[in-house]
Amino acid sequence: MENAIEVRNLKKKYDGFALKGINITVPRGMIVGLIGENGAGKTTTIKSILNLIKVDEGTISIFGYDHIEDEKRIKDEIGVVLDDSFLSDYLTVAHVDKVLSSLYENWDSKLFFKYIESFKLPKDKMIKDFSSGMKMKLKVLAAICHHHKLLILDEPTSGLDPVARNEILDMFQEFIEDEENSILVSSHITTDLEHIADYIIYISDGEVVISKTKDELLDKYGIVRCTKDEYSSISKDDYVKCKKNRYDYELLVEDRQVFKNKYRNLDVIDKPTLEEIMLIFVKGE
Amino acid sequence: MNIIKGLIIKDLLQLKNDKKTLLIFIVIFIFSSLSQNNSGNSLTMLSFIFTFGFGMFSISSFNYDEASKADRYILTLPVTRKDVVLAKYLFVVGSSLLGSVLGIFLVVVLASMSLLEMPSIGELLSLALGGLFGVSLILAIQIPCIFKWGAEKGRVQLFIVSAIMILLCGIMLTASKDMIFLNSFSNIVDILNNFWFLILPLCIAGIYLISYKVSIKIYAQKEF
Repeated sequence: MENAIEVRNLKKKYDGFALKGINITVPRGMIVGLIGENGAGKTTTIKSILNLIKVDEGTISIFGYDHIEDEKRIKDEIGVVLDDSFLSDYLTVAHVDKVLSSLYENWDSKLFFKYIESFKLPKDKMIKDFSSGMKMKLKVLAAICHHHKLLILDEPTSGLDPVARNEILDMFQEFIEDEENSILVSSHITTDLEHIADYIIYISDGEVVISKTKDELLDKYGIVRCTKDEYSSISKDDYVKCKKNRYDYELLVEDRQVFKNKYRNLDVIDKPTLEEIMLIFVKGE
Repeated sequence: MNIIKGLIIKDLLQLKNDKKTLLIFIVIFIFSSLSQNNSGNSLTMLSFIFTFGFGMFSISSFNYDEASKADRYILTLPVTRKDVVLAKYLFVVGSSLLGSVLGIFLVVVLASMSLLEMPSIGELLSLALGGLFGVSLILAIQIPCIFKWGAEKGRVQLFIVSAIMILLCGIMLTASKDMIFLNSFSNIVDILNNFWFLILPLCIAGIYLISYKVSIKIYAQKEF
């Protein structure tokens, strides 16, 4: 069975920034989280997949179809949530239903209004008057109510309070209950991805630097905290990155058990969070 | 066709927010026309003004799209870039046609209320077509400008592009004053006088067709 998304050797150059041969796979039935600092290339990657920008090199396929040649067919089968863009802020929920029912072949008005009721979204209020949480819920509903198999989400939880974030994450979990469904979600709120993602892809400065299952990353990787003297006794081959703090050193290691066995004198080896991994990658050497 | 319908419905629903402004525009023009001494002529001009007003009014749909950054989202739906451009042209051309029909209708209604002499069909048609031609010239330049530079910047570019075009036409006319083909200028005017009802619609269609092709090219290259 083909993957939901396959991106191979994606290159795109701007002044002062470039995607340098990105490879991404989103297997069916999985949630893949794209993490990285602001300007790392997450949104550019998503825009490339959606053919919103022209790529310089590389191939992108969705459900085995080429993202340019079969664009219309693909876009009928995916739902998209963009952080800063929607159909119009000057429409009501009822209007959105009217427009999207003309644009999507399988738009499900009944399901849409069922969700609208359960999330208590006002039907006759202009979207511009919605709170950020309400607006994001509507965007997610607009993306999931046409019975498709793939969601592509760019920063779907940014700027939301914890309650709204949880409700939206629950919607994604519900969507993925059908094992055929897949999600590619970019976020710099790494705790969200720790909750829902199966795979983590970390993009830094236009390159994929980590692409692993979340369990592998969080259960196997480790953060070693040590003094300067202890650091000098560690071989460079045994850690991925090292971040020098004022009083100690933090080392990201790929396998904390292997590291523990080799350096028995070092006992501060913690399970990392995605945020810590990101920080050491960005600030470390 | 459903796709185009959906995009046009979106524009219509957005413009519903401006219905009060539109209504005020209609009332002001009717009353200002009625209050003038030569109310007969100025009322006949209503068909011209409505064509113009509705055409320019429909352009504000671009502003709504820009405020919501709608293009980026719309292009993630099962919509091609060609669909987006075609829907905009149909909406804008349709709006100016609607304005034209509404203008003619109002003139006929007001004339039947004995507020003015009933104008001839030729008079009404010439005013409506004249309005359509005028608004087409502006919109045909403005729409590609908006697709290229956006609704805000596009306005400035419209003035620049229009000024360049007027300047070029002026230079061409001045430079070719003594040329032989202009000796037959009066013949051209004669032809226009006799066949305006055929020539104007053809010109309008031609102007929009060129403008549409240019917009398609611009939008195809655009990155979001």
